[in-house]
Amino acid sequence: MSSATQKSSSQDALLRSGIDRSLRHPVMFFMTSGAAWLAVSLILGVISSAKAHSPEFLDGCGWLTYGRVQAAHTSALIYGWGFQAAFGMIIWMMSRLSRQECRASGIILTAGHVWNVIISLGTLGILAGYGTGMPWMEFPSFTWPVITITYAVIMVWSLVQFKVRPEGHVYISQWYLLAAMIWFPWVFITTNLLLHVFPGNPVMAAGINAWYKSSLIFLFFVPIGLGMAFYLIPKVTGRAVHSYSLAKLGFWSLAIIMPWAGMQKLTGAPIPYFIPYLGAAATVLFFIPAFTAAVNLLRTAMASGDIVNNSPALRFTTAGIVGLIVMAVAAVFLNLPGSTLKLSQFSLSGYGFEMLSLYGFFSFVAFGAIYFIVPRITGREWLSRRLIKMHFFISIYGIMLIAVVAIFGGLQQGVGQEMFDQPWATASTRAYPYAICITFSWCTILISNIFFFMHLMVMWLRLGRRSNHPTLLVSAHGHSPHGEEGDIDNAGPGTAAAH
Amino acid sequence: MSFRTFFLSLSASFGVAWLAIIIVPYFKMRSLEPIVMEEGEGTNAVYIPKRAGRIADGAEVYGENGCYLCHTQLVRPTYAGNDLFRPDWGGLKAIDDRPDTRRETNVYDFEGEQFAQIGVSRMGPDLSNLGVRVEELYAKDISPEDWLYRHLYNPRFKPEDRDSKCPSFRFMFDESEIKGNPSDDALEFAGKNGGEITPKPEAKALVSYLLSLKKDQAVPSSLNFAPSSGEEEAAPPAPADEPSPAGA
Repeated sequence: MSSATQKSSSQDALLRSGIDRSLRHPVMFFMTSGAAWLAVSLILGVISSAKAHSPEFLDGCGWLTYGRVQAAHTSALIYGWGFQAAFGMIIWMMSRLSRQECRASGIILTAGHVWNVIISLGTLGILAGYGTGMPWMEFPSFTWPVITITYAVIMVWSLVQFKVRPEGHVYISQWYLLAAMIWFPWVFITTNLLLHVFPGNPVMAAGINAWYKSSLIFLFFVPIGLGMAFYLIPKVTGRAVHSYSLAKLGFWSLAIIMPWAGMQKLTGAPIPYFIPYLGAAATVLFFIPAFTAAVNLLRTAMASGDIVNNSPALRFTTAGIVGLIVMAVAAVFLNLPGSTLKLSQFSLSGYGFEMLSLYGFFSFVAFGAIYFIVPRITGREWLSRRLIKMHFFISIYGIMLIAVVAIFGGLQQGVGQEMFDQPWATASTRAYPYAICITFSWCTILISNIFFFMHLMVMWLRLGRRSNHPTLLVSAHGHSPHGEEGDIDNAGPGTAAAH
Repeated sequence: MSFRTFFLSLSASFGVAWLAIIIVPYFKMRSLEPIVMEEGEGTNAVYIPKRAGRIADGAEVYGENGCYLCHTQLVRPTYAGNDLFRPDWGGLKAIDDRPDTRRETNVYDFEGEQFAQIGVSRMGPDLSNLGVRVEELYAKDISPEDWLYRHLYNPRFKPEDRDSKCPSFRFMFDESEIKGNPSDDALEFAGKNGGEITPKPEAKALVSYLLSLKKDQAVPSSLNFAPSSGEEEAAPPAPADEPSPAGA
C-alpha cells in the first residue's frame, strides 16, 4: 500500500469518526425513542389483537375500546417507530455518503423532541376518542401541519448536505433516500389538504386515503429500507454491488410503478373504474422493483456467506430482504382482480400485508442499521451476542406467523365472506384461529424486542463493551475475522484495567 | 445524473400518477352532475338522495371509535364480490309481494359525510343497509333505536349472537337512579346498581347515524344495474315518477 493511500484512508477514518461524532445525539435519540415507541405499539398491538378474538378482554372502557387501541397501535408503529428509525438512518447515511459532518444536530435534536411530543399528543388523542376515522391518518387533524414542519426541519439538512457534497458519483442509496425524502411530503401534504382542508367527494376521499397508505409503504418505507440495505451489505462484506445497472432498473421501476398503487382497496366502490384496476396492476408489479433489488442485494451478500452469518447488521438486513421477497410474492398473490382481490380486499390480508412490509421488511433492515450504527456513534460495542440472537430468532418466528396470516388466513376468511348462502358467522368463524395467531405473533415479537430494548438501553447508557473488536454472532471469539480478541476494557477510565 | 435531472425525472414519474389518479378524479368527483330519474320524454325529475338522521356527528362518533376497522359500507358489484347476493346487504330480497330492492353502492349513498367509511376489513358484517335490516328484520318487539342501544351496550345479548366479536360500548351509556318516571330511551334491563341505563349523546348520535344507513330509496335507471325481470318486460312501462321494481 502506498503512503498516499494510507494517508487518505486515515483521513477517511478521521472524517467518518467526525461525522459519527457530529450526529451522535440526534441519531441515538431517534433510535432510542423509536424503540420506545415500538414497545408502546407492540403492547397496544397485543391488547387490540386480543380484543379482536376475545371481546371481553379489558372491556367497557372508552380508552381501551378495540377501534381506538388498534388505530393507536398502527399509528405508534408508523409515526413513532417507523419514521424515527427512518430519520436516524437517513441523517446518518446522508452525512456518510455526502462526506459532510452534520452542522445542525442541535436543531435536528430539538425537532426530534417536537416530533415525539406531537406523536404522543396524537396517540393520546386517538385513545381519548378524537381520532379522525381515516385509516393511518387517525391522529387528530391539528397534528398534520406540525408533523409536516417538523419533518421538513429534520430532513432539510440532509438535502443541503447532498447539495454541497464533493462532486462525484451518486450512490444508489442516495437515490432511494432522496426520492423518499421528496415523495413523502408530496404525498402527505396532498392527502391532508384534500381530506382536511378542501374536502371533496367522500368516496374519492376514501380513495385518496387508500393511496396514502399504499404510498407510505411503497414510496417511503420501502425505498428507505432498500437505501439502507444497499449501504450496509456492500459496506460490511466489502464487495461492490453485484450489478449496478440492475440497481438502477430497480430504482426507476419503483419510481414509475408504485405511485399508481393503492386504490385497489376500493374495487367495486363508486369511483372511476380504471383507478382500482390500475392500483391492482401496480401493486402486482411491485415484484419488479422488489425482485431486482432483492436479487442484487442477495447476490452481493451471499458471495460472503460467513460474514452474513456472523455480522448482526447483515443478518438482520438479509432477513429483511427475504421479507421483501415474501412481501412481493404476497403483493402478487393477493391482488389479482377477479380471483384473489375480492377475497383479500376486506380480510386479515390487508393488515397482514401492512405488518409484513412494516415489520418483516422495514423493521428488520432498521434493526440491522441500528446494530451497525449504534457502536459507531457511541464508541461502544454491543454487550452480548446472545441478546442479539434471541432478538433475531424470536422476531423471525413472530413475523413468519404474521406472513401466514396475511397470505392464507386472509384468503380463508375471504372465502367465508364470499359464501353468500351461509350465515355471516361462517366468515368470522373462519377468521377466528388466525386472529388468535396474530395475538400470539405480537406476543412473540414483543418478547423478542424486550431483548433488543434492554440491549439498546445498555448502549444508550454507554455501558457497552469498550473494545476495538465488534460483537459478532460466532461462538468462538478467537476465530473472528478481525483477528485475536482486541483490547477489552469494560471497567471505564480511571480503573486499573484502563491503564 | 445531476440533481436537477434526477428531481425532474422523479417529479415526472410521480407527477403523472398523482395527476391521473388523485388530482383529476378529485376535481371531477367534486362536482357531480345531477342525474335525471328516468331517461326519456316528459320528465326532468332529478334524483335527490334522501337521508335523515344525525349524519355529520354520528359519522364522527363512528370514525372516532374505529368502527371502520371491522365494518365496511360497500356493497360491491358482482364482478368484485358476492355482496349483492346476500339477502339483506344491498337492500332486501324479494319476499311475498315486496319487490327485491338490492343494489350496489352508489356515490350518493354517502350524502352528508366528509369521508366515506368504506372500511378496511370485514370482521363484522357490512353496514350499508343496517337501518333497513334493524327496522324490518331485527327489531321485532322493540323500537329500532332501542334494539341498537341494546346491541351497542351488549352485542352478545341474544343467544344467537353469543359468538359476536363486537366490543361493548358500555362507556357510551350512563347508569342513574330512577327518579319519578323512567326515561323513554332507557334499556330494558337495569344496571349493576339497579338504576336505569340511558344512552349518552354520542350513543344517540351514533344510533341515529346507523339508522340512516339504508338502501331503500329507488335510484335512477342510469344507476340501477339490476337485471330486469321477465314480468317487468311483459308489463306496460311503469309511470316515470314511480320506482321501478328491480327483479333479481
